[in-house]
Amino acid sequence: MTAPKVQLSLRGIRKSFPGKAGPVPVLDGLTFDIYERDFVSIIGPSGCGKTTVFNVIAGLLEPDGGTMMFRGEIVPGLRGRVGYMMQKDLLFPWRTVLQNVMLGLEMKGVAQGEALDTAREYLSTFGLSGFENAYPKTLSGGMRQRTALIRTLIMDPDILLLDEPFSALDYQTRLYLEGVLLDAVETFNKTVVLVTHDIDEAVALSKRVVVLGNRPTKVKAVHDIGLDARSPVGARSDPRFAEYFHTLCGELDIQTRARAA
Amino acid sequence: MTSHALKNAAAAKMSAQAAPVRRKPGALARAADTMVGRGLIQALAVAAFFAAWEVAVRAGWLTEFLVGAPTGIWRVFAAAMADGSLPVDTWYTLIEAILGFVIGTALGSLAGLGLWYSVFIARLVEPFIVAINSVPKIALAPIIILWFGTGFISKVALAVSLTALVALIAAYQAARDADPDLQALLASMGATKNRIFRSVIVPSTLPAIIGMFRINIGFALVGAVVGEFISSQRGLGHLIYTASSLYDLNTVWVGLFVLMFVGFVLYHLIDFAERRILPWRQVSTAGQVQV
Repeated sequence: MTAPKVQLSLRGIRKSFPGKAGPVPVLDGLTFDIYERDFVSIIGPSGCGKTTVFNVIAGLLEPDGGTMMFRGEIVPGLRGRVGYMMQKDLLFPWRTVLQNVMLGLEMKGVAQGEALDTAREYLSTFGLSGFENAYPKTLSGGMRQRTALIRTLIMDPDILLLDEPFSALDYQTRLYLEGVLLDAVETFNKTVVLVTHDIDEAVALSKRVVVLGNRPTKVKAVHDIGLDARSPVGARSDPRFAEYFHTLCGELDIQTRARAA
Repeated sequence: MTSHALKNAAAAKMSAQAAPVRRKPGALARAADTMVGRGLIQALAVAAFFAAWEVAVRAGWLTEFLVGAPTGIWRVFAAAMADGSLPVDTWYTLIEAILGFVIGTALGSLAGLGLWYSVFIARLVEPFIVAINSVPKIALAPIIILWFGTGFISKVALAVSLTALVALIAAYQAARDADPDLQALLASMGATKNRIFRSVIVPSTLPAIIGMFRINIGFALVGAVVGEFISSQRGLGHLIYTASSLYDLNTVWVGLFVLMFVGFVLYHLIDFAERRILPWRQVSTAGQVQV
């Protein structure tokens, strides 16, 4: 196996937010690499600034210090090059499914007719044919999130930034959409950065897991996940799954056993 | 009878009382709850009201001099329609109100949405907006008449003054409440500020802005009528004011009923426009829970 090529590199990223008693440091020199076609999960204690990391990568927040390099070039942020997906599906309620999916193409200035064809093609690939003219509020949670995923993929972004995208869904829908995501990432050769509080999901989907510490946040550890099965259910059935799960719980200082008094 | 049996009987009686009885609506109730049925009931209620009024006046329980009478109102209405004065008065007031509504609402909405562009300017002008808004706009009427004369323009100006700030505040508030995550999403796609304005701010404020239309159509009519009260040669406000100073109650009622009709029609026009502009907000009532 050849050494993986670094796609995105964060070096000493610092960010603080104004608080009542002076600035509150959130990111304290964050450093990690993301490889080409990588699947990295970022986990950490709640409130540790996972979403802030995302906003910095997406170019929505300017870091106070540190540098970010994309394929060897220093960049201020990846505006227009990332696909951003959150726990809320963020579908535009006044747009139909088709119009929502076309949104990213419109932003890129793709011609209307071409955008329409591409959107229809993606919708049929992901089993949403027949729902083109439905408004989001008439869809189930799983279908809405699937639409959001299509909207993200259709822009052909360099990196997918997923911020707890499935955490509001029921477990079955979630397993299903995890599978859809893995297949899509495989088909379209995408790099994925996934923020999650769900260790189980991180182990099942990722090639690597970045563990963040408490605020102000630094990288605590990076773990390679060596599960061969590339499906959400297969990965969870792997005997080594429990081992990874246990290690990561330990990293997050989660008490896995009731302490004897 | 044993005490046990007694207890049982008592319990049975209690439960029969306590059990919620949900009766299916009868045939009559179902027939009444249709478009035609409801319309019929509403028409009957109006007819009964006017009949009672007329009877009360004829029987001498009410003085026609002070309250008018339906037959008298009808005679005035027919005469004013025949000589063409009522349509002209209605037309004047209607045009004043509509022009005032359109100008005031458009200016206010554009300014309110525009404030979204700059938090700095929005914070700067906020106290002034609040201050101007706290003046009861009707109090401006004498000045507006001085500035714009006693004709048509001053009524439009008064309607504008009543509607513009309402529109501004509603539009600005709605723009501030627009989902920041949707804006962040578009920004991450590389959208410009103008693009975010067009694709997020405008569509997400439309429901609030159209809701404000309903309020403003009423304010615009107030502006037109009050302007006519103060000084005018034409209009429904003029009609009402001059008739009431002559104790001609039937004519006053004609003016009021026509105003009511105008407001009613305008309200439903906005309703119609809302359904066309906001198809994504239409909810089917089929799934509503019957309580």
